[in-house]
Amino acid sequence: MNQSIRYLVAIALLLPLAARAQMPHDAIYMGKGSVCVAGMYGRSTWDQYWENSLKRENLNIGTHTTQNVMLMPAIGITNRLNVILALPYVWTQTSAGNLMGQKGFQDLSGWLKYKVVAWKGFSLNAVAGASLPVGNYVPDFLPMSIGLQCRTAMGRLVANYKHPATGLYVTGHGSYIWRSNIKLDRDAYQANDRLYNTDEVRMPNAFDLGGRLGILRKMWQTEVWVERTACTSGDHIRRNDMPFPTNNMQATSVGWYGKVQPRNIGLSARVGYVVGGRNVGQSTSYQVGVLYLFKL
Amino acid sequence: MGLTVKKYISFILLPALLAGAGALVVSCDKSIDEPERQAYSPGNLDEKAGAWKPYVLTGSSEVALPEPKAVTSAEYKAELSALKQKMAGLTGVQRDAISYWGAGAVYRWNEIARELAARYNIPPASNAEGKYPVPDANNPLADPKFPFANPPYTARALAYLSVAQYDALVAAWNYKFKYRREAPSKVDSGIQAVLPVSGLPSYPSEDAVVAAASFTVLKAMFPGEVPFLEAKMKEHRESRLWAGMNVESDLTAGADLGTAVAAKVMGRARADGMSTANNQALTAGMIEKAKLLGLTEVWISQESPKRPPMLPNYGAVQTWNFDRETMIKLRPGPPPALDSPDFKKALDELKDIQKNQTREQARIANYWSDGAGSYTPPGHWFRTAVNAAHDAKFSEVRTARTLALLGTSQMDAGICCWDTKFYYYYPRPQQFGLKTSVGLPNFPSYTSGHSTFSGAAARVLGYVFPDKAGSFDKMAQEASTSRMYGLIHFRFDCEAGLKCGVAIGDYAVARGKADGSGL
Repeated sequence: MNQSIRYLVAIALLLPLAARAQMPHDAIYMGKGSVCVAGMYGRSTWDQYWENSLKRENLNIGTHTTQNVMLMPAIGITNRLNVILALPYVWTQTSAGNLMGQKGFQDLSGWLKYKVVAWKGFSLNAVAGASLPVGNYVPDFLPMSIGLQCRTAMGRLVANYKHPATGLYVTGHGSYIWRSNIKLDRDAYQANDRLYNTDEVRMPNAFDLGGRLGILRKMWQTEVWVERTACTSGDHIRRNDMPFPTNNMQATSVGWYGKVQPRNIGLSARVGYVVGGRNVGQSTSYQVGVLYLFKL
Repeated sequence: MGLTVKKYISFILLPALLAGAGALVVSCDKSIDEPERQAYSPGNLDEKAGAWKPYVLTGSSEVALPEPKAVTSAEYKAELSALKQKMAGLTGVQRDAISYWGAGAVYRWNEIARELAARYNIPPASNAEGKYPVPDANNPLADPKFPFANPPYTARALAYLSVAQYDALVAAWNYKFKYRREAPSKVDSGIQAVLPVSGLPSYPSEDAVVAAASFTVLKAMFPGEVPFLEAKMKEHRESRLWAGMNVESDLTAGADLGTAVAAKVMGRARADGMSTANNQALTAGMIEKAKLLGLTEVWISQESPKRPPMLPNYGAVQTWNFDRETMIKLRPGPPPALDSPDFKKALDELKDIQKNQTREQARIANYWSDGAGSYTPPGHWFRTAVNAAHDAKFSEVRTARTLALLGTSQMDAGICCWDTKFYYYYPRPQQFGLKTSVGLPNFPSYTSGHSTFSGAAARVLGYVFPDKAGSFDKMAQEASTSRMYGLIHFRFDCEAGLKCGVAIGDYAVARGKADGSGL
């Protein structure tokens, strides 16, 4: 490495760069050649869930906890095309009952985010995403399974308006998620009120909608958000039965997200709470992250 | 907006490109491949099956069936022309029904019964007082639904279903070869049957016999499903007309015979002791007895709130292939004392599996789990049996015999295993700190129900399909071990259960060898 490059690297480490660490659902872009790597820890707990539409507790579960650590790099290919990747390691446990916790690498996700239109403070962004299961985890030992073993493909539009002077922004997104069929270890299962004599499970597709209101400044960001995710079809948890991958899982969540990144190193935090749903736990979740920004 | 053409193009192209990339990851075809079963002409008509020994009937003529009208009669000719009308201009739905039921009457009704078992296999939820309401047969669709089709319940339901099918078909075969009315397509060359036609006489229709017998048993076992079962029976019956396989009088005679025989079989069911199988008042005495045998820590429900054990008095239900005295002799000897080195060794083995469970061990545990929401281990073995019978192109009566041998062995296995479980009242591994990767059944540990059912099933199926005996034994061994991989049974639970199951299976085999079939 020659002297000038070493000098540039040192500058990159020290200079206050704009807080541009970004997510697949926002309109923030890494500049060309910039990379932000987020290392995150997340924890989500619930002690009540919706069995179909019936909200209930389960003394044989107590409090259900899912934790994960995740590496999430975002790369600026150009100023208006970014790549984001994520790979979580997930583990589950309960405070009561005797269901064995599961753990392992879950699914590798990737997104391409492209700024289609930018005009004054307004932008329209297209996101394409996909995910592939990485770990050979068991998908139908719910609610202990760490994932559903689906391959997914996602198309999303993100519309954003940011007031140039104040940094006040409003963002809305909508997505459609295709989910592949999955295979089970067993060769018969009950779903959709019938018995299937096969190991293959047809998975419902899903969609999500989100709205965000916040302020984005050079070194910090704060926002409140609301999100709705749901399957487009699927069955419901039967009375006192366990959940199953074909369930039409639906959740409406609200939360807050914030970030400070005075220099290359930044911190992010996110809290969320499910206010309504079906066939899901009413979870409270938080996630903290350390962001590291550098130029290629 | 000041957009350039280039921007418009990227707006359109990019999502298209990305959707293309997505299609590589997710195939758009989401239809599911379920194994299909085709109609066949049986390899052997089993013409002498009218002389095979039934289970409940005293003989194959016990239920009378009048002689049919001659094929030369005006009445029969009128039936033939009615049949031709029925067959004209079949719709796609009708053709689907023909091909569905063409796979086999016993085959399909067994499949329907397994489906009902799976749908009804959910333990009741506790109520606000922390109690578990008992399902009510008179109000089957209330919460909790009746029945809770757990393994002992399902073993019994499938046993009676199979016995009723078998006894009714033995009677049907008797009349078929007594009256020898030929199939409509053999009488009238103007009738082109849609399904393969064998040399089997068609009066009474074996399909109608099986449908009516199955309906009679299943409506008693699953009283909330009468409309569903009626629709199935109606479709089954009609499919035989659409296919040109039977005339109306073949079907009516079959339905009468099947209903009458199944009613007699249900007479046994009503008096077999099942009504007191859930007598929870007996458990205090059972626990006392187990303690007198030296058990220091008895089984306790691991659920919250504590759930009363599953059918503690099922061990008193009437067995099929041996008497009560024999059953007591079949009961395995006592499990290791809880302070013995043998117990410590078995517990340590499970602790090690919990710590290091491999994916293959989890797969085996899941494959055989057959827990809540499934057709249970007896259902798993019925599926194996009926598929083997289909592969071997068995006649309906031989398939029914196979399932009756299996079904009685499964119910006997359930009774003997439940007697053992509540005799020893032995604690589950979860009382010593273990978790489970398959879900914990709510009854004592020793012996393993899966192992007992599987040992008996493999023995019976090995007798019926000798060339597959080795693979059935391997399956039974794997089903047994799967309960250790799932962490809910000690090795000695599994080994004693499997051995006892094999001995139970031997009684069914002895019955089969003496039933006059010469098989």
